[in-house]
Amino acid sequence: MAAFEYRQAEEIRDVFARHGIRYLFIGKSGAILLGFPDTTQDADLFAEKSPDNCSALIVALQDLGFSLSDERASEILQGKDFVQLKNGPFDLDLVFAPDGIERFEDAWNRRVEVEHFPVCHPDDIIASKMAANRTKDRESLPRLRAFRDYWKSRH
Amino acid sequence: MDESPRTSEHQQWLEEFEAAARRPLAQRMKYAFIRTYKPVLDDAPFRAFDTMADYRAWCEANLPAWLGYGR
Repeated sequence: MAAFEYRQAEEIRDVFARHGIRYLFIGKSGAILLGFPDTTQDADLFAEKSPDNCSALIVALQDLGFSLSDERASEILQGKDFVQLKNGPFDLDLVFAPDGIERFEDAWNRRVEVEHFPVCHPDDIIASKMAANRTKDRESLPRLRAFRDYWKSRH
Repeated sequence: MDESPRTSEHQQWLEEFEAAARRPLAQRMKYAFIRTYKPVLDDAPFRAFDTMADYRAWCEANLPAWLGYGR
């Protein structure tokens, strides 16, 4: 599979908007949308875990070309915290309860819009990486914090 | 002028941030998203976890340490 492309991010944005999905780009993919110069592989989306949002999300994912059987769709509807999709036009991680962020609504109220892409505030991206505390998070945090300070100085 | 490595590294980051800010988003994304095979992680088309703790535990138990998903 090829790397995730800008036009695919646009497709997510446009299809999700059409279905009224409440979601935010999070993780390094979110930071990259904000301007963080780094590399990553997957797009990470923080989606609101509500029955209506999850139902609409399933339809939107199918519109994007993801293959979701009834069983898999049901898992998303049941309210999983984390879903990893590698069966579509690009790889996608769906996070419904990211470490370090208490409520979707809080992150939504702090969101940043970049070319109409809804993105988690850099403070929330950092909070989630601090809470996840994986080796790769610890390695990226100093540079990400420096970027957050730089970003804040310009916004 | 004696500059510590930490300060020098920070300055380099700032220059990278400035350079990135001058690029259009589509170009930034072209440079940012790469594709390499991640063993185990890329070997299933779909995974779902009830909790983030379950996902973290699965990563710890199943993924090679060098991928960096462990704690």
